Amino acid sequence: MTYSALDDITVLDLSDRLAGSFCAKTLSLYGCDVIKIEPIGGDITRNWESGNPKNSSDSPLFLHLNSGKKSMTLNLEHIMAISILKALIKKSDVLIETFKPEKLASIGLSYHEIKSINPNIILTSITPYGQTGPYRFYEYDELTVFAMTGAMHREGLPERYPVRYGGETSQYFAGNTAASATTAALFKRLLHGGGEWIDISIQECMAGHPHQIGRRAPFIYAGDIDKRVSPRTSATGDREPYAVGTFKCKDGYFSFLPLGPRMWPNIAKMINREDLLINPRYDIPAKRTDLRKELEDIFQNWLNQYTRSEIFDFVQKAGIPGSPILRSDEVLSNTQFVDRGFFQTVTQPNGMILKMTGEPFRLTGLPKLDTLPAPETGEHTKEILKNILQMSESDVENLYKESVI
Amino acid sequence: MNSTNPLSGIRAIEIAEVWAGPFCGCLLGDLGAEVIKLESIQRINRGPIKPDADSGGYPDGIPGTDPWNRNGNFNGVNRNKKGLTLDLKTTQGVDSFKDLVAQSDVVYCNYARSVMENFGLSYQEVRKIKPDIIYMLMPGYGNDGPYADYRSMGMAIDAITGHSYLRGYPDLELSSNSLVHHPDAVAAVNGVMAITSALIYRAKTGKGQFIDMSQAESFMTHLGETYLEYQITGIPRERRGNRHPAFAPQGVYKCLGEDNWIAISVKNNSQWNLFCQLFNDALLKDNRFIDLRARIDNHDVLDKEIEKITQSYDRYDLFHFLQENGITSGVVIDSGEDTYAEPHLNQRDFFQVVEHPSAGIFPLTGPIIKYFGGELVNQPAPQLGEHNNYILQDLLGYQNSKIEDLSINNVIGTRPLFGSDMGGSRRIKP
Repeated sequence: MTYSALDDITVLDLSDRLAGSFCAKTLSLYGCDVIKIEPIGGDITRNWESGNPKNSSDSPLFLHLNSGKKSMTLNLEHIMAISILKALIKKSDVLIETFKPEKLASIGLSYHEIKSINPNIILTSITPYGQTGPYRFYEYDELTVFAMTGAMHREGLPERYPVRYGGETSQYFAGNTAASATTAALFKRLLHGGGEWIDISIQECMAGHPHQIGRRAPFIYAGDIDKRVSPRTSATGDREPYAVGTFKCKDGYFSFLPLGPRMWPNIAKMINREDLLINPRYDIPAKRTDLRKELEDIFQNWLNQYTRSEIFDFVQKAGIPGSPILRSDEVLSNTQFVDRGFFQTVTQPNGMILKMTGEPFRLTGLPKLDTLPAPETGEHTKEILKNILQMSESDVENLYKESVI
Repeated sequence: MNSTNPLSGIRAIEIAEVWAGPFCGCLLGDLGAEVIKLESIQRINRGPIKPDADSGGYPDGIPGTDPWNRNGNFNGVNRNKKGLTLDLKTTQGVDSFKDLVAQSDVVYCNYARSVMENFGLSYQEVRKIKPDIIYMLMPGYGNDGPYADYRSMGMAIDAITGHSYLRGYPDLELSSNSLVHHPDAVAAVNGVMAITSALIYRAKTGKGQFIDMSQAESFMTHLGETYLEYQITGIPRERRGNRHPAFAPQGVYKCLGEDNWIAISVKNNSQWNLFCQLFNDALLKDNRFIDLRARIDNHDVLDKEIEKITQSYDRYDLFHFLQENGITSGVVIDSGEDTYAEPHLNQRDFFQVVEHPSAGIFPLTGPIIKYFGGELVNQPAPQLGEHNNYILQDLLGYQNSKIEDLSINNVIGTRPLFGSDMGGSRRIKP
């Protein structure tokens, strides 16, 4: 048996959608035994969006969020399901849930009741707006909750509408924060005993993010308003604007962020134009900012000759922060990620072989755990009822008949 | 120290700047750890410090006589820490660091892996002093592989992980995208989980360890479905802007007032019917929007129709009205005034009033991890070298004469040295 950081920890994942599932999945990567409780029809993300796998009804999102979990179906509308859930809670260490606030209490599972079943349980609640406050029952999705964090208003062009980030950013960020909070609570429990109720608000996680803190401080300190700006502007305003941002090159796009005028010589040398350094037209930052258009043309002409991978070498030699913009397929074959063995090859139940993302950090004092596929709906229902709750075959059959599972 | 907090009794040393390491430390501090931020008076790592009063980074725009203690961004992301200065380029500095390590549980650093090695403070060296130390390096691309020594920033990780490719307006070139440093924050949050997992392992086995974090890998776990989608469909995902592939309409629309917007997400036919009934019955019978397929195909025209409605509403009135009718929406709030005025965030004590000895009293962003019954840690960001005496005298038991000697040799101090690197292009005036 391999020894892991979080082994002996059983997590009940009662969540729907993204943040809670990701929290549980992240915990599973470090050894937690995660039981995903699904409605009889399966988790809604199994059919989320387009792009479902061949020979399978499960979406890429579901496969990603649930790899390594066990699946058990439970019809929470049924009174018998609640007693099964209570029995499972008794045997668990962590309960992750994403119901609307007060929903659990309405089915007889308030925190108080959960605690009376298992005084050491850690209840991790993840909701768009938290357990308290006027918006606690409001509906959300990535677009609308991201809007409510401050991150979106700043994103995009000044003359256009604000635009959100590319992924399910705030839900992932909150789910990850919840996994950290849960781990910290497990540490405290190990030393001092006792459970915890953690209240994670997706809105707060993203609004309390350093990006927003950095934008909010100038407002509260001095009344400065941080609006959407041209993509060639950087936060401090004096950073060689003709080379800031995203540029087209020979085979795609490349992002640069020179750190201030001290990088002017690095840039000039990188683009083989050391002559510019002795040209009085460009000798101070203010002139280079005024003449940004002609410098951007020079820079662009240089970029047009090279590929992203060539430019990546150049920026590393020049000491200028920058990276190629990769597409999802290019990320999979990137030399660094391949060399470090980040992606894990996992055979799915239907025989399909997929490369899945690995660990977000490596605990090098511990052996690496295998990455496992996501479960089929209810794949482990029987096993869990029999092994964890010691139910008999006929009891289990009865539950199927009663549509409890 | 408060015994109800998860990490009380844990001491961590932070060697970091910008966001990834500092925000990790900020969260550890929120959870009750004693976080000692290690800085030097030779090189100021507090963001670009501008001696000129041209930045709102300072209270009332005034840098004062100690601008390094008054930088808004720094003070915001360094709450709940103590400040120590040590010049690690000197033997005295390294020796003091080692003395501190002997009494600490965790060391973490967000610089390139060579930085600690060059100070003679690699994991191998540090564990000689404290065998069960938890030691985390979190460079951009990880601690081995061809990019191990590459420099990086959040925006670079955003690009290489494929996130930049998915951001921005679908109808414009990628060069219109702004730079985003979100992966820093993700690395910070994962750093907290890494450290607390390692603390659990240490509590069970007595063993410390080295944590190898790649900020890129940490963030790629947030994009996992996009890599799977390509493998399964053979088609890489493209930008979607504010739209969803399976719902319509979805978008951001103008409201009354300047730069005021609302985000609306109509998720199914019954919500669409309701939306039309509430605002404009004619849309319901309009052939261009008759079903989901039609609404997706005619989304641009549909957006114009919706904006005709929204632009005559106050954004908050509309938000509450839609939510009360079960239609998903959100106000596009800005990070400043709107966030500070947000009733929900205020009711949940999102802001905490912090008294900073140099910057003054301001409500700043509070903890994002909330435990019911947990006690709030609410200390201001440390001033440069503010806790030198507490750490060297009280923790390490140094004699006054030794501390004076460190001070005379500029190993410690509370003001940047003349000519020190201020993090931007400017040098501090004497």
